Amino acid sequence: MKRVWDVWLADALLTIGILFAAFAINVLIQNVMETKDLVSMIFLFAVFIISIVTRKRFWGPAASVAAVALVNFYFTYPFFEFNFVIVENLVRAIIMLVVALATTSLIAQVNSKRKAEEEARKEKLRANLLRAISHDLRTPLTSIYGASSAILENYRVLTQEQREKLLGDIQEDSLWLINMVENLLSVTKLDGDNVRLVKKSVPLEELIDSVLIKFSRKYPTETVKTDIPDEFVYIPMDPLLIEQVLLNMLQNAVEHATGHTVITLSVMIRGDMAVFEVKDDGCGVPRDVRSRLFADYFEGIGRRSDANKHNMGIGLSVCSSIIKAHDGEIDAYDAIGGGAVFRFSLALEEMNDGTE
Amino acid sequence: MAQNRYRVLVVEDEGNILSFMATMLEAKDYQVLTARTAAEGMLLFRSHNPDLMILDLGLPDGDGLDVVKAVRETSSAPILILSARMGENDKVQALDLGANDYITKPFSTAELLARVRAALRNRGNANGSDSAPSDTLTIGNLSINYDSRRIFARGEEVKLTQTEYNILVLLAENRGKVLTYSSIIKAIWGATDDGSIKKLQVNMSNIRRKLHGDLMHRYIHNELGVGYRMLDENEQY
Repeated sequence: MKRVWDVWLADALLTIGILFAAFAINVLIQNVMETKDLVSMIFLFAVFIISIVTRKRFWGPAASVAAVALVNFYFTYPFFEFNFVIVENLVRAIIMLVVALATTSLIAQVNSKRKAEEEARKEKLRANLLRAISHDLRTPLTSIYGASSAILENYRVLTQEQREKLLGDIQEDSLWLINMVENLLSVTKLDGDNVRLVKKSVPLEELIDSVLIKFSRKYPTETVKTDIPDEFVYIPMDPLLIEQVLLNMLQNAVEHATGHTVITLSVMIRGDMAVFEVKDDGCGVPRDVRSRLFADYFEGIGRRSDANKHNMGIGLSVCSSIIKAHDGEIDAYDAIGGGAVFRFSLALEEMNDGTE
Repeated sequence: MAQNRYRVLVVEDEGNILSFMATMLEAKDYQVLTARTAAEGMLLFRSHNPDLMILDLGLPDGDGLDVVKAVRETSSAPILILSARMGENDKVQALDLGANDYITKPFSTAELLARVRAALRNRGNANGSDSAPSDTLTIGNLSINYDSRRIFARGEEVKLTQTEYNILVLLAENRGKVLTYSSIIKAIWGATDDGSIKKLQVNMSNIRRKLHGDLMHRYIHNELGVGYRMLDENEQY
């Protein structure tokens, strides 16, 4: 509700402002120069501008009516009185109104065209994303289907070791799929314009605790150092989504920071922002990749070594969407001394849930 | 050997999930009963009186929450909930209605087995166990002396405030069970208001700091957005 009121208020102020400016300019011109020719033109121009800048289609025509009244009353004979009987005045009134209506209508058309283009672009992006995800799903599914078939068809001839290897592969691919699905589910929570994010006040230490436990279950051999403030801190957020972001970032470090020995998760309070950083001492982010890191769908740069079995996929782009939905910022850069730092920030705004 | 096996009832409508759970539980020497609908589940519960029930919340013929309610009318047998990831509300509701713990799908068999074991180990706790009431409660390397109202962790005394002590005792007596924010708040302060959850979280933070000399010694697990659970002696680390 408030939003709609804001738009009307903004438009009203613009209209009044521009008309006033036109009026003032005309009064100035009248006193400085002796010509009357410019009056109508300036007001016509004002009406034209108003039709373009206001968002509701009401103001263009309304301004033209006001302008006609002003010109008629103040600037044309008979002065300080309305008179539309004189043909000139009537014609002027009509022209102004027509210009206003035509401009308003033209602007509306341009806007709807732009909107349609934007929609089409979004659709294309969505289609691309779906295509890429489908492709990405096919790979582990092929492996799962293949491995399970191999075991079923050749059960007796396979060695125990071979069977265990195939079963292990099935499990690994399933876990990757689970991860992908969790990310996709997070994305559906933030569906474009209808971002219905429900923020709660979450104690930072509980969030980090939960993240670390989940992470260590998945990667029991990885070392994560933590560095969080000593004092008790609340941060407004959707806890499951931010948990997803941190898990994605940590997982990203494990899978792509080749040669890393330790991963550090730190949180700092800087003024009214909480800054989260996931740092590793691995190989760092390759230069040519950096600008595309958080893009809608990111593919590995063609290296398909065993360590990078899967593309980075949508993990980082999901992080980006989640952080943006929280009105936060996310970026990545090289750490001093080697390795990469992935960082995002969240506002520590006052929570309006009835507590002090 | 057979007589001492625990009886577990699994209520899950998805065939493949039911089948792997049943297989895995039987492999670990549990007696397994299965049901694929809420109605069937209730029937089997009433007629066989299992030691533990694993219940999927998304059943086709009824709300899992109603099953929890119905079971709790007559039995205090532990109930483990299976739920999908999104949203904490259904979990919180189930826990408040009397469920003991929850597992989020997809889950690993190791996780499921651990929760089943914990629930069965601790099922006598809250409602008074058979053993004579003693003045000390010991859980692994945490011990609570009721007489003197003192807490010891790893042999050293830990100074807690009145409220912190009460919360810790509540969690300890319900170890193995997830206590929701609202159930803890109601038990400790009697009523909930807007600031209660924050009050509880601050108290938990203080308890955590005082108990955990370093983060490696862990006594209480926090379930983000849902509540808290004290680990039993087999889970402490």
